[in-house]
Amino acid sequence: MRSDPLSLTLCGVALKNPVIAASGTFGFGREYAKIMDVSRLGGICGKGLTLGGSAGNAGERVYETPSGLLNSIGLENPGVKRFIETEAPYLRSLGPAVIANLGGHSEEDYLEGARLLNEAEIDLLELNISCPNVKAGGMAFGLLPATAADITKKVKAVSRHPLMVKLSPNAADIAAVARACEEAGADAISLVNTFLGMAVDVKRKKAVFNNVYAGLSGPAIQPVALRMVHQAAHAVKIPVVGLGGIATAEDALKFLMAGARAVQVGTMTFANPNAMPEIIDGLSAYCEEEGLSNLQEICGIL
Amino acid sequence: MAVIKRNERVAEGVFCMSVCGASAGRAGQFYMLRVPGALDPLLGRPISVFESNAETGETTFLYQPVGRGTTQFAALLPGQAIEAQGPYGNGFPLEPGRAVVIGGGIGTAPLHQLVKELRETDPARRIDVFLGFREEAYCVSEFERYATSVSVNVRGIVTNDVDFTLGATYYACGPAPMLRAAAGQAEAANARLYVSLEKRMACGVGACLGCTCQTAGGGKRVCKDGPVFDYREVQHAL
Repeated sequence: MRSDPLSLTLCGVALKNPVIAASGTFGFGREYAKIMDVSRLGGICGKGLTLGGSAGNAGERVYETPSGLLNSIGLENPGVKRFIETEAPYLRSLGPAVIANLGGHSEEDYLEGARLLNEAEIDLLELNISCPNVKAGGMAFGLLPATAADITKKVKAVSRHPLMVKLSPNAADIAAVARACEEAGADAISLVNTFLGMAVDVKRKKAVFNNVYAGLSGPAIQPVALRMVHQAAHAVKIPVVGLGGIATAEDALKFLMAGARAVQVGTMTFANPNAMPEIIDGLSAYCEEEGLSNLQEICGIL
Repeated sequence: MAVIKRNERVAEGVFCMSVCGASAGRAGQFYMLRVPGALDPLLGRPISVFESNAETGETTFLYQPVGRGTTQFAALLPGQAIEAQGPYGNGFPLEPGRAVVIGGGIGTAPLHQLVKELRETDPARRIDVFLGFREEAYCVSEFERYATSVSVNVRGIVTNDVDFTLGATYYACGPAPMLRAAAGQAEAANARLYVSLEKRMACGVGACLGCTCQTAGGGKRVCKDGPVFDYREVQHAL
């Protein structure tokens, strides 16, 4: 029997296709399971976790911009323990590969969270060193090669799961951060998280968000995300997972050609809950049209 | 994908759109409406059910073309397609007995379907409706079809017209100051009041956590755990 041309192996994990729900846009799968066929996805990244959980940010949390979305959710999450008890088993029951996303406010948070997650039945650990919406930690770890490498190395040392480090596009030299993570032992990298942006309520003469700055996602960021994925993919040998404004199968193909092995889709799911199944169908059709025995043949051709 | 049957202006800055092909929704629920394939604006707009007609299969929305999304809606013509994802949200509970319904501006929209359902579930009950408008009243006759009485207040404070000591169930939807006033009066009279909240949301299904409001029982998602709440739960978030 011919294998599915969309199938791939990522850090030793078999995915039925390279389309993964991005962290923070899919909860733990429960809500979308009611309105779409989540079993079709290659993988699901759960909502970003912090050790003790968080109520998230006060004030406005989302604000639309042209073809984009600013968010300042602030990692509202139930904490690592409740994830392990209730959300991870549920995610596992859905079928796609299960990826836990771990953020933190301090090195100790990250390490304790990673240790606890050793008990969880997950396929991959995505290390979030790129959340722009929490005051301490988060993105602070991901801006410089040295700090990114340090936390990657320490988490890798305590975790039994394959480690994918999620990078921030707000880093000055994305290739250098990618290389530093690879050298520190990362099994894969994913990029990009959101770009730091801002919105102003002109009528009230105030910043829209209590934190003033917020994270920009959606099709608006796609060309910049694509460039960064290309740069990172040329800097490392470990697999790169690309994301940033992917809305269609054609968008996904751009990221794959630029060097990504798989893609994540986030904001577009908010606009169209069936965006990911539609992308998967489009990728299948592409393989057929191009006569590809596996989609991976086009990865990194640019 | 839903198809537009009618889309017309019913008052200054207020449009009424009927679509067929959307799954039937209940009073207080909403749909994410979106121009198919549009990337700017990207997200659907949460619009509540003004009327759900089981016979014709039509769902009707009342909306104000104020932002880019709703302005695009106003330009759509009958026969054109529109994405109507939903229905989402919990909807109003239909309590037995007497009902008092208080609406302000475009917040009157979900109350029309509410009054219709209250009437359908009890042809004999008393339903008093209080509608407040800033400039011009609209859709009053639609309420009169189902309500026992409809009182209209233009440019005033609609909650001042309402007696909260009737032992009725009170329902309110409108601007935040109106909801705060209703909550204050309900508290003073120890009345049962349900409020429908509005908040910026991205997904509409409870996944993005963009519309979380802090309640007595912790963070609640307006889109999924609401938009209808017992006022005591959300009084501090109003």
